[in-house]
Amino acid sequence: MTIQRIKPGDYTKTPIDKTEDPDFGTDMIPKTRYTSREFMQKEWDRLWTKVWNWGCASEDVAEPGDYIVTSLGKEEILITRQPDGTIKAFYNVCQHRGNRLMMGQGNATTFRCNYHHWEYRLNGEFENIPDIESFPQGAPPCGGLTEVRSREWNGFVFFCLDPDGESFEDFIHPLEEHLGPYHFDRMVKVTDWTVEWECNWKTSVDAFNESYHVQGIHPELLYFIEDKHLQIDTYDKHNRYLIPFATISHRVNETTEIPHLIKHAMKEAGMDPADFDGRVSEVRGALQKFKREHGAEMGIDYSDLNDEQLTDDYHYMIFPNITMNTHAEDLMLFRQRPHETDPDRMYFDVQMFKLLKKGEEKPRKPKNERFKHGERSMGLVIDQDAANLPGVQRGMHSEAYEGLWLGDQELRIRHFHKVLMDYVQED
Amino acid sequence: MDLDLKGSKVAVTGGSRGIGKSIATLFAAEGCDVSICARGPETIEKTRAEIESHGVKSFGTALQGRDGEAVRTWTRDTCDAFGGLDVLVCSLSAGGGTNDERYWYRSFEIDLMSATRAVEEAYPHLKSSENAAILVVSSMAAAETFVSPMAYNSMKAALITWSKQLAEQFAPKGIRVNCLEPGPTMFPGSNWEMIKVARSRTYSGVLRQQPTRRMAEAEEIARSAVFLCSPAARWVTGATLRVDGGYTKGVQF
Repeated sequence: MTIQRIKPGDYTKTPIDKTEDPDFGTDMIPKTRYTSREFMQKEWDRLWTKVWNWGCASEDVAEPGDYIVTSLGKEEILITRQPDGTIKAFYNVCQHRGNRLMMGQGNATTFRCNYHHWEYRLNGEFENIPDIESFPQGAPPCGGLTEVRSREWNGFVFFCLDPDGESFEDFIHPLEEHLGPYHFDRMVKVTDWTVEWECNWKTSVDAFNESYHVQGIHPELLYFIEDKHLQIDTYDKHNRYLIPFATISHRVNETTEIPHLIKHAMKEAGMDPADFDGRVSEVRGALQKFKREHGAEMGIDYSDLNDEQLTDDYHYMIFPNITMNTHAEDLMLFRQRPHETDPDRMYFDVQMFKLLKKGEEKPRKPKNERFKHGERSMGLVIDQDAANLPGVQRGMHSEAYEGLWLGDQELRIRHFHKVLMDYVQED
Repeated sequence: MDLDLKGSKVAVTGGSRGIGKSIATLFAAEGCDVSICARGPETIEKTRAEIESHGVKSFGTALQGRDGEAVRTWTRDTCDAFGGLDVLVCSLSAGGGTNDERYWYRSFEIDLMSATRAVEEAYPHLKSSENAAILVVSSMAAAETFVSPMAYNSMKAALITWSKQLAEQFAPKGIRVNCLEPGPTMFPGSNWEMIKVARSRTYSGVLRQQPTRRMAEAEEIARSAVFLCSPAARWVTGATLRVDGGYTKGVQF
């Protein structure tokens, strides 16, 4: 079955042109990048401490004094909103005895360490050191918390541990133009999970950077997406693929009945599948048209998105560890964080955002829930990935396995490794 | 045993896929001219080519099953094109669907009303046939609770009652009317093929109840259908034949 694609000139704001596929060769990717502690240390020294990292959603620190603590490897970062509306981020550590300063998230007028009540202003400066006269050397000359660079963009806060590193604009390019039209800042968070997974963070990143595994791990999605005939685009650091949704894979036969996931997508848009007389392969186009025509009355502004974006998954990876399933009405964002010490473990953050319809009441902000894989369901599709990944990680330790043998459908994984090695430089 | 169908003129609603297609092509193999109607022009063309490969005539129209006038026109056009009609098979179906209200109307129009409309239009031609037969394709799902409450099962049940009454009314006119209740049937592009992949638990639940652990093939249904419509079944009317490989467990006395 042929998938109809948007043509250049049809619209729009998010660039749709296919980038020329880079030639990264066909070499095996050494498995040690996933399993070795030496490589993990190099990643810390040369990647995590140099690159821009996704920190939180803007709405996590909506009001002055709102703060959230996020962790990356051995570090914890305290992100907070200033009285003037800007963002600051600090290492979350008290300059006195090294205690963790804040935990979780909340609102504060000052940050006070619970150990000896050393107190810091929202801008990081010392506010009060109890019994300061008992320190003959005075207060630490640093003047307060150690700030890290931070930047708010399109509803998210990023931070960078390298004080002299590249600018955020250089880092994020060209995604500003790509993702701006989705207006993530108009969406609200509806899910916030952190799950400990028994695999390397890259094992997880890889799983979302190809859809070649859909036939194996997510067979039911063959009746909702086209899994092979995708557009893959690679940029300086980031990459994407454009996956047609609300259609069926070329791997399966067209049915009379509309598959249930497609029906669900139609109903969500207010389109009744029982009144649709076309074929299953015609739903995607009809649904795009329907949303375009009825968006306003549904209270949704689709004006910055092209027709394809109304049904499909424009699937972005912000290097190194952010996976974004972007849809017109929602965003499913995964952040893959390295473990503090163990290359065989990671933290998988799921943050789902939804566009509020006009007049729709804002749902209560979800609390971050932490659990280990298997303790609760995250929905069928993520559960399927989660169940599979520990086996991949375990297998990579086998004597009989040397590295990743990648095909064209896995170009994004090659591109990711190219950028990774630009940072890490050597295996 | 000779089915004695050669030269008959046959119309099959929804004859471009699955059971309907298998019935249509089996009639063609028996030497009948066959007409079909369905949504997709491409599948109609393909099926017509298959029909004609048996050296018989074909006819076909792309239409929406709930478009009553289109179904009536196709029936009349078929009779015109073939110069009469001997057999009408009503197998057009909307398939299953959730229990939303609109699905009741959809099922009503496509499963039930397309059959009554085709019968109405075919009647004058069938009356003049020497071997007239109508076959209404219902479903095993009408006879037992199956999967979930939905319009499909109920509309298929309505077809059984209606066909029985038709049989009585039409018998003196020389038109036999029978009903077929196929069990779960697997073919390329069938809903079961999708359910096997997309709702594997539902699928395996159904398969476990099938004594031979497999579903029917479309041709296994079509053979019974063609037999019931053939002169070889000339004393069979008002019958409802369940062809389900032993799926249903109730005993019919």
